[in-house]
Amino acid sequence: MTVSIYVIQAMHGLVYGMLLFLVASGLTLVFGMMGVLNLAHAAFYMLGAYFAYTVTVHLGNFWLSLIVAPLMVGVLGVLIERFLLRKAHKGGHVAELLLTFGVFYVLTECVRLIWGSNPLPVPVPPILTGDIPFMGMTYPIYRLFILLFSAIILTGMALLLMRTRIGILVRAAVSDGEMVDALGTNVPVLFMGVFGGGAALAALAGVIAAPFLSVFPGMGLDALLDCFVVIVIGGFGSLFGAFIAALMIGELQSFGILWIPRLAMVFQFLLMVIVLIVRPTGLLGEKE
Amino acid sequence: MMSYRAFQTGWGGLVALFLLFLPMIVPEMKIHLATEILIFALFGISFNLLLGYTGLLPFGYAALFGVGAYAAALMFNHLPGTPLVVTLLIAALAGLLTAIFIGSFCVRLRGTYFALLTLAFQMFLYTVAMKWRDVTNGDDGMGVIRPEIDLPGFGNLSLMNINNLYYVTLLIVVLGILAAYLFLKTPLGNAVICMRENDERASFLGYNVFLTKLTVFSFAGFLAGAAGGLFVLFQEFVSTTTIDVHMSFTIVLMVIIGGKDRFLGPVIGATFFLLFQDWISDVTVYWWLFMGLFFIVVVLYLEGGLISLLNLDRVWLWVNRQEK
Amino acid sequence: MTLLRLQEIFKDFSGLQVLFGISLDVTEGERHAIIGPNGAGKSTLFNLITGLYKPSSGNIFFSDKDITGWPVHRIARTGISRSFQVINIFPEMTLFENVRNAIVSKVNRRFNWGSLLNRSEDIQEESDRIIELIGLTDVRDSPVSELSYGKQRQLELALTLARDPVLIMLDEPTAGLDSEETRAFVQLIKQVTEKKTLVVVEHDMDVVFDLADRITVINYGKVLATGSPDEIRENEEVKEAYLGGK
Repeated sequence: MTVSIYVIQAMHGLVYGMLLFLVASGLTLVFGMMGVLNLAHAAFYMLGAYFAYTVTVHLGNFWLSLIVAPLMVGVLGVLIERFLLRKAHKGGHVAELLLTFGVFYVLTECVRLIWGSNPLPVPVPPILTGDIPFMGMTYPIYRLFILLFSAIILTGMALLLMRTRIGILVRAAVSDGEMVDALGTNVPVLFMGVFGGGAALAALAGVIAAPFLSVFPGMGLDALLDCFVVIVIGGFGSLFGAFIAALMIGELQSFGILWIPRLAMVFQFLLMVIVLIVRPTGLLGEKE
Repeated sequence: MMSYRAFQTGWGGLVALFLLFLPMIVPEMKIHLATEILIFALFGISFNLLLGYTGLLPFGYAALFGVGAYAAALMFNHLPGTPLVVTLLIAALAGLLTAIFIGSFCVRLRGTYFALLTLAFQMFLYTVAMKWRDVTNGDDGMGVIRPEIDLPGFGNLSLMNINNLYYVTLLIVVLGILAAYLFLKTPLGNAVICMRENDERASFLGYNVFLTKLTVFSFAGFLAGAAGGLFVLFQEFVSTTTIDVHMSFTIVLMVIIGGKDRFLGPVIGATFFLLFQDWISDVTVYWWLFMGLFFIVVVLYLEGGLISLLNLDRVWLWVNRQEK
Repeated sequence: MTLLRLQEIFKDFSGLQVLFGISLDVTEGERHAIIGPNGAGKSTLFNLITGLYKPSSGNIFFSDKDITGWPVHRIARTGISRSFQVINIFPEMTLFENVRNAIVSKVNRRFNWGSLLNRSEDIQEESDRIIELIGLTDVRDSPVSELSYGKQRQLELALTLARDPVLIMLDEPTAGLDSEETRAFVQLIKQVTEKKTLVVVEHDMDVVFDLADRITVINYGKVLATGSPDEIRENEEVKEAYLGGK
């Protein structure tokens, strides 16, 4: 009997880990390519969830939000990159950091003003409600859907990056931006695209997370801190590293809640400290 | 022809007189506001020791303010007979010790990592404050009674009188800001500024970058803790709002809008922010949004902040022209 | 007496091997040049000696003390000073303030919070002395951003000398200077490093042969040859690898 509980928890961890990766992937790519840790990225995730709420509750169709939310947030992302981030880049790292923090906060505030501070429930679409029997217990269908959907998205992303010309350009730009520029690619357009794409992906993660996690104005900050841990552990610009790290963190939080529920909120912090101990050189870096 | 030095002194004198006689110039309601501005001015100055002068941006700075606030609140409630000076000192020490702890992890890091790791520590402390209800009463918070100050020979000074509170706050804030100002003029202060300019070269000149940054971080924490203590005294209440992200962002906002490149920038920022809040928040619920947008505008288009617009040089030139 | 000894220094960066067992002695009072093609490992060597990098294996001895693995600031305080190939100064300060930073460190007042820096006469005087030594008194109060490149290079030198180091290490000190400036600069270097021990990395062979008592040639992370300027000039291997058979 207890084995099933562990497996179930592991599944929960996997679900959360996949979601986390979906959000963190855009963040790490942007960091690798542009050298800026976009704090507003977590707000894209939050916006996705809130759009899901509005579309589902007011238009009655959850599936529509899977298209609407990423589209709108993607466009927003492109606009932010083009008009705000690019300007801040000239002011240096501090300016970029402050700008993205400011955007994060403004977006959070907008969300609070439009939708209020209370958590909003997003209903699971009818087809996916209920549980299925699994290892002597039951497991929510919706979570399996999240796993499946994330896997599809991830496969699509992997194919895009590995097989298409655009994907190769993006990976090249992450490793060596100057080279890509010298080869004649329109780097600014590439930046806008990756930024917007990452935003759309985060929003997508927000949409599918909405019925499963609570939708409240603070969800952006929670996601931000988790993403930061993922990227630090997994390495900046490394998608594979982010993947491993995200799954790890998902499992850690899942089992952490099981074992020491009172400290669940503290786990993010503990992870931070572990990160510091485990990868101090990853953060300091020798000057090579 | 007035020398610039004389002009500056004259200007400073005017400001000093203004602050000293404020309770007689301005209605009592506004003295509350003035007291609050003073507290955030100190908080902001301490923050800018790190941002403007050391080049470190701590996103989680409310941690130090909040720890000072809670320390003071616990003193006021559990040891009410303690002289105010001692309580505030304890609040400042709480800030100092927390800063030493957080700093030893964070200060080795650069830019983004430093900013976010301090945020993580602040979130941790926020969680502790929320969950440790026995001590902090969570987000319900704890009320605090302002103590009386026993002045030998003068009797008791009640801090329930807002003017008295104002003057006490003014004294402590001025001392704190003076300490920060003088700190920057010492060799240690100079060392800190070196770190901002080029910490690599500094270490090749023999400076221990880690210890230097840790020291200034701790000193900033000391001042922030004191500000936190004053805040509790002012609000007669402490809750998790003193140690949450909102508070962290508020101080970032104030300092950036006021100006991080000049010493008194944070004072301008605190003044602007709180005056604006006082004026506008009754009128519209969107005022925080305006602040956030204004913040973005400042970051992109006015890096020196509002203080860069206050050009005393021009006023001095104008004054001299009048004399002819 | 041997002031600096490098013993079988290996250095690799995450698998990329850069130094393959460098052994080197620098005698007290000598002027020792290190030359070699780009990528040979000269800057890495500098960074290792001054503590920015730690050797993957091997030891570094300074005055018979094992300084391997010591942090940068500790090595700096022991009497080793270096200059940088790319000018590495305090950009928003004046020339005077730049030099003063070094002096504050020299008199061990880095953590002094009890005095006002502007009133510390001994520090002011010592800073002015160094500035005069390098010949920059006329631009004492100029912001360094306004100084010409040549003067910035002089400041680079001043910062290196300010602590009265025992071992002075100069990393391509004449980089970017024209021949006129270079000649003057070499004179300056000779003047201010009299009676000190000097290690110089240089590409300009005229400078090398003018300054050096001994030369070490490094190629592909290994010591190719060490000897007097004449010996090096005659050395066949060196000629092939580096001097191009001149």
